[in-house]
Amino acid sequence: MSGPGEVTVDARNVTKTYGTGALAFQALRGVDFFAREGEFVMLNGPSGSGKTTLLSILGCVLTPSGGSVKIWGEEIAGRKERELPALRLAYIGFIFQGHNLLASLESRENVALPLRMRGWGTGAAMKEADRLLERVGLADKRERRPHELSGGQKQRVAIARALAGAPPIILADEPTASLDAETGLGVTQLLKDLAVQGGHTVVVVTHDNRIFHLADRIVNIEDGHIVNGSTH
Amino acid sequence: MSDGVKRRLGTAVRSRWGKNRLMAMVGIRMMFHDRAKLVGTLLGVIFATVLVNQQLGVLMGLLFKNTMLVENAGADIWIVSPGLESVIGGNRLSMYTLNQARVAEGVAWAEPMAYGTANVSLPNGGSEAVSLIGTRLTHYGAGPWNMVAGDVEALEMPDTVIFEDSQRQKLGGLNLGSVRELSGHRVVVGGFTWGLLPFAPSYAFTEFDTARNILRIPSDQTTFVLVGVAEGADVNAVRDDLARRLPELRVITREDFRSSIVSYLIRAQLGISFGTSTAFAVIVGFVIVALSMFSAVVDNIREFGTLKAMGASNFDLAKLLLVQSIAYAVIGSIVGLFLVTRMSEGIRSANLVLVLPWWMYAGTFGFMTVLCIVASGLALLRVRNVEPGMVFR
Repeated sequence: MSGPGEVTVDARNVTKTYGTGALAFQALRGVDFFAREGEFVMLNGPSGSGKTTLLSILGCVLTPSGGSVKIWGEEIAGRKERELPALRLAYIGFIFQGHNLLASLESRENVALPLRMRGWGTGAAMKEADRLLERVGLADKRERRPHELSGGQKQRVAIARALAGAPPIILADEPTASLDAETGLGVTQLLKDLAVQGGHTVVVVTHDNRIFHLADRIVNIEDGHIVNGSTH
Repeated sequence: MSDGVKRRLGTAVRSRWGKNRLMAMVGIRMMFHDRAKLVGTLLGVIFATVLVNQQLGVLMGLLFKNTMLVENAGADIWIVSPGLESVIGGNRLSMYTLNQARVAEGVAWAEPMAYGTANVSLPNGGSEAVSLIGTRLTHYGAGPWNMVAGDVEALEMPDTVIFEDSQRQKLGGLNLGSVRELSGHRVVVGGFTWGLLPFAPSYAFTEFDTARNILRIPSDQTTFVLVGVAEGADVNAVRDDLARRLPELRVITREDFRSSIVSYLIRAQLGISFGTSTAFAVIVGFVIVALSMFSAVVDNIREFGTLKAMGASNFDLAKLLLVQSIAYAVIGSIVGLFLVTRMSEGIRSANLVLVLPWWMYAGTFGFMTVLCIVASGLALLRVRNVEPGMVFR
């Protein structure tokens, strides 16, 4: 990375409480978190620490109970539920633990999906999908369906899909969880290379200490608090 | 959409139709990917299509059988006894009615028709009933129709009767020229019709006076008076005029008489039985489609969650389900209608005819589409409740 870029994700004093009354559970207790353009941040913590809740809030999938969350300076906390899909479409690319490719679609159609959801024409979206699959080394697998691919190949298709349309933020949830060590490292390295080249901000939730060395910064979260690495 | 989002998406958002096409494509691909669910759901639509059309086809066939005399008698207006709902069971009319009809303005012709049940004596000593029609209308192209043997003109010969071909064996092995006893009268078989079987015993045709003798109708009485309207005259105006002249009788146009019979049969006899079985078919089809589509959504719940996480709204996913519903309806209806058409050809006989008019084919597509869309409501409720955050779990 050539130097610190503009802050793309800026969360301050974020709280999230599930349920009400005696059953209320506070998953986040005043979390401050930020990430810069082109930065590769890993979010680490034990199960139940609140890292997936934080990722969901940053991904506009969940609304926080309190605090402020800004993406490119645009406040997203307090937005209505029905406004969130457009925010996700505009800002976020997702990589999921289980790749979550649509089983009925070919690789190139899966990659083209977010582009076509943004209104790209079929031809242009497919061309861009082919280009992205070439970048992740799967040009020859573009007409394969998910069940015809290995775990690593599926996750590389998922990376290409997350990069489609060049969203400023890519959120990855345990991307190496279902992969062996070597494949997991390769996939994460590929994600980092492509994200840095494209100037994407990447936030990866992981337990996998074999890939920690690839992070620009590691943020640890415990019991709904950031315990290090979040200072603005 | 906020300014920031608009800036970010920029000109990339080109058209709403692109997204609609995408949802249609994903919906269809999902549908065909899960073959077992596809077959299950289609079976529901096919089942409902076949059963509904089969039931309605039989109903239409039965209604047709009971209105065919009115349709084919060649009269524009019927004069019948008051309160008569169908051609069966009316009181006799005075021949004075015939004279009144003949002198009315706009009437081209008026003729009597005798109608009643007569019994054919069988060689084995038994007897079989026929619905005997006495007519003078053969010269207007009416009288017996669907002739398969003999000629209508044979009715001009004394004591000649035209019987139903499909009942030949039942009526004692009839042939052209066979001599039988019909309610104590000697008659000669002059021809055969095909398919003229109402709910009552099969139709048999003879000349009016022969029928009157066989049915023991006095010479100054008739069962019906049939009226043909002169060219250029208004049927309704002639009917109104006749109704004024014959206030104690029911004067009704052919079309109204046909509708009246249909309405009576549905109200009094056929409606409940056929309505129940048709409703049952619709309910079973609906349940199969609803559960199959719901089950398909549950099986693909992570894919729906993924689409939501990527930015698809509930409305987008509703469109996906809508396309699937329409596809299920169209494919299921085509297969179902093909099967029911083949079935109707297979079971076609003089006794049972499945009548499938064009509007039933068109209506099936519309009805099945509505059924599938309503049935997808359960799946839509499940999709609405999918949290995009589930993809992180």
